[in-house]
Amino acid sequence: MKSHILLLAAAILAGPAFAQDAPKGDAAKGEKLFMADGCWQCHGVGGNGAALTGPKLSQTALPFEAFLHQLRRPAAEMAPYEAAIVPDSAAADIYAFLKSRPASPDLKDLPLLQGMGVK
Amino acid sequence: MSGNGKVDRRGFMKGAAVAGGATLATETRVRAQTAPAQPKAASPSAAQQAMENDPPGEAEKLTTEKTGSDFMVDVCQTLGLDYMAACPGSTFRSLQESFINYGKNTKPEWLTCLHEEVSIGMGHGYAKVAGKPMAAMVHGTVGMQHGAMALYNAWCDRVPVIVFTASAGPVEDRRPGVEWMHTVQDGAATVRDFVKWDDYPRSLQSFSESTVRAYQLATAQPQAPVFITADGKLQEMELSKAANAKLSIPKLNHPTQAAADANALREAAKMLVAAENPVIIADRYARTQQGVDDLVKLAELLQAPVIEARGRMNFPTTHYLSHWERSGPVVAQADLVLSLEPSDLYGQLNKMRDQLERTEGPKTKAGVKVISISTHDLLVRANYQDFQRYSPADLSITADGEASMPYLIEAVRQEIGDRKAAFEARGQKLLAAWKGLADRARAEAAMSWDLTPISTARIYAELYNQVKDMDWALLQDGGFQSNWPHRLWPIEKHHQFMGGSGGGGVGYQPVAALGGALAHRDAGGRTPISVCGDGEFNMAPHTLWTAAHHKIPYLTVVHNNRAYHQEVMHVQHMANRHNRGVENAIIGTTLRAPFVDYAKVAQGYGAVGIGPINDPKDLGPAIAKGLDAMKSGQPVLIDVVSQPR
Ligand code: HEC
Repeated sequence: MKSHILLLAAAILAGPAFAQDAPKGDAAKGEKLFMADGCWQCHGVGGNGAALTGPKLSQTALPFEAFLHQLRRPAAEMAPYEAAIVPDSAAADIYAFLKSRPASPDLKDLPLLQGMGVK
Repeated sequence: MSGNGKVDRRGFMKGAAVAGGATLATETRVRAQTAPAQPKAASPSAAQQAMENDPPGEAEKLTTEKTGSDFMVDVCQTLGLDYMAACPGSTFRSLQESFINYGKNTKPEWLTCLHEEVSIGMGHGYAKVAGKPMAAMVHGTVGMQHGAMALYNAWCDRVPVIVFTASAGPVEDRRPGVEWMHTVQDGAATVRDFVKWDDYPRSLQSFSESTVRAYQLATAQPQAPVFITADGKLQEMELSKAANAKLSIPKLNHPTQAAADANALREAAKMLVAAENPVIIADRYARTQQGVDDLVKLAELLQAPVIEARGRMNFPTTHYLSHWERSGPVVAQADLVLSLEPSDLYGQLNKMRDQLERTEGPKTKAGVKVISISTHDLLVRANYQDFQRYSPADLSITADGEASMPYLIEAVRQEIGDRKAAFEARGQKLLAAWKGLADRARAEAAMSWDLTPISTARIYAELYNQVKDMDWALLQDGGFQSNWPHRLWPIEKHHQFMGGSGGGGVGYQPVAALGGALAHRDAGGRTPISVCGDGEFNMAPHTLWTAAHHKIPYLTVVHNNRAYHQEVMHVQHMANRHNRGVENAIIGTTLRAPFVDYAKVAQGYGAVGIGPINDPKDLGPAIAKGLDAMKSGQPVLIDVVSQPR
C-alpha cells in the first residue's frame, strides 16, 4: 500500500507538465468501456470499490496523469492495461465517466446503516 | 462368495493339510482345466442350477443375530459420536444396517448425504461449532475419492473428522466384478498425506483399539481428520457369544493439551512488556469462548492491538483493541509481533506482488522481533505444501496457543513493573485510531447502497437489521464479500463465526454450513446464516435436501455474481498481462446463458427457495420471509443477484 501511494505521488509530481493536456473524455462511452474493459470486476459496477479487490474510483480525486499512470504501471496488484488495450483516449473516457458519477447516498438517509458498525 | 467356492475350499484345505504344496498345485490345475458340463435338456431355472451346483443343505446357516459390525457400532457408541453422515455404499452395508437397527440409529444418528464431499465436509463445519467431532462413512475407493477434497480442507484447517471407509475382505470372499472395483489394499494411500492417522484393522479387537486411538489423536492439538477402514469380512462375519465376550473397548483418554514451557513464556513476556509497539495476530487460536476471553485479557494487559486473521473467532470486533482493518500500518509500525497459531507466519510478515516478475518484501520494519506460539510444527507432511514458506522467529514456541494463554498472561503480569503508564498511553492512541474505523466502513457501505446488482454491503446490512435481536451465527468467512461481517457486525461470541475453508477447496461453504447449522440447531435457539458464493453453492446444492430431510434450519443467501469471480479476475489479469484485452475472460469463468435459478433448485430439494432478488428494495422483505420460514425448522435459500465482491 505504501509503495502504491508513493508511486501515485511520483506520478502526480511528474504531472503538471502535462496537466493542461488531459484529453476531454466522453462519459457515456467511458461507462461502456468501464464495463467492457472489466474495470468493474474489481472496482464494482459504478466504481464504488470493494475492500479486497479494488478501491473506490467513483468521483476519483486523482489527476488524469496519475490515473493513466496507474493503468500503465499499477502501484501493486492491479493488472496493467497497456495503450494497445486501453488507448489514452479510452482512458480519458473512463476517467470522465468516473468523474461524472453521482455522490454516494448520505448516511443520514440510510437508517439501516446508521445502526451498523461495531463501534 | 458362491457355495461352490466354499465346497472347493474345504476340500482344498483338507488336501493341503494332508499332502502339502504339491497336492495343492495339482488340485488347482485340475479344477481350472475341467470344462463346464453341457446342458442336455431344457435349461434349468437359476434356483435349480444353484441347487445342483451347490445344494445348501439343511445344515447351512443363512442368518445370524450378531455380526462383527454390531461390535463396531458398540465401539462408536462408546465415543459419544452424535452423527454418522454417509451416502450409501455396499462396502459398508453390514455396518449401516447395524447402526440403524442394532444401534437404534442414535448416538450416532445416521444422516443421509447425497455426496461424500458433504458427508466429510459437514463434519468439518460441525466440529468447529460443536467443539467435538462427528463421523462420516464413505464407500470403498469411489466414495473415498469423492470425499478427498473435503478431507483436505479439514486437514488444512486442522479440524477433526472421524472418517470410516470399507473394503471387501480377502480374495476368496469377494464376488467377481464390482466388489473388486471397490476394494483397495491400502485404503488410506490416497488420503494419507492429509489425515493425521489411519489404520486398516484386521480383527475386531484391532478395530476397537484403532478407532478409540483415532478419536483421541483427532482431537489432540493440532487436531485433524483420521481415517479407519472397516474390513468387509470383519463386518459381515458371525460373532458368537463367546467371541464377543473376549472383545473389549478401551476407555477413551482425554489428554490435556500441550502448554508452553514456563521459561519460554517468561522470555516472551519480557519481550512483550519491553516492546514499544507490540501487535498480536491470532489465526487458528481460539477453540472456545475461554480462548477469546483470555486473549482479551492479554490484549488489555498490554494495551496491544489485535489483528484477527479470521481462522477462528478469536477477538471481539467491538473491542477497541481490534485493529485488523488497520493491519497494514499496525504491522508496519510494530517492533514485536506475537503470532498465535498462524497457518502462514511468512505471509503474515511478508508480501509478494503478483505481476509478470514476482517481487517480494517484508510487511514489517527492520529489526522487528517475532514470537510464535503454535502447534504448526507438530503436524507437517512432505507432499502437500499447506505448511507454507519457512519463516524465522526470534522465539518459536511449539505449544497450543489457547492452552498456553493463561500462563502467558500470568508471566506478563509478573513482568509489567513500571510499564503500566506507558501501556495506558498506548491504549489511548489505539482507542482514537479505532474510533474512525466504523465511520469509514459505514461510509464505504453507503457508496454502493442503491446499486444494481445488489452490493454485498447491502446484503449484510439488510441481514443484520433483521437478525440483530436473535442469537445469530455466521457460517462463512466473508472474505469474498469484502469482509463486511468483520467490518459491520458485532462478532463477540466464539460461536458467531467459524473461520474459513482451510484448504481453499471450492465447495467447502455449502457443506461446512450444513454441519455448522446442525451444531447450532443442537445448541438451541440460534439463527445460522451462510452467505455462499454461487460457484461454491453449485458444488453441493443437494446439501439442502439433507437439511430439509433432517430438519436442519439455516438461511443460505446466494451471493450470486454469476461467475467464479476469483477466476474472472485471474483470467482478466492474464489477458492484460498478455496484452490481448479482457473481452474473452468470461469464457469458462462465468455462469451466464442460461442463468441458474437457485430458488427453484432449492425448492426442488425440498427447501424454501426465494428469488432471484434483483432490486435492493426487495431484499429486506425476502429476508423477513426467509427467517419466518426457518422458524418451522426448514432450510431457506435466497438468491441475491449481487455485485462481484
Ligand atoms: C484484477 C482487478 C482489477 C482490475 C480488473 C482493475 N483494477 Fe484498478 N485497481 C485494482 C487494485 C487492486 C488497485 C489498488 C492498487 C494496486 O494494487 O495496483 C487498483 C487501483 C486503481 C486505481 C488507483 C486508485 C486510487 O485512488 O489510488 C485506478 C485509477 C484504477 N485502479 C483504475 C482502473 C481502471 C480504469 C480499470 C479498467 C480499465 C481497472 N482499474 C481495472 C484492481 C483492479
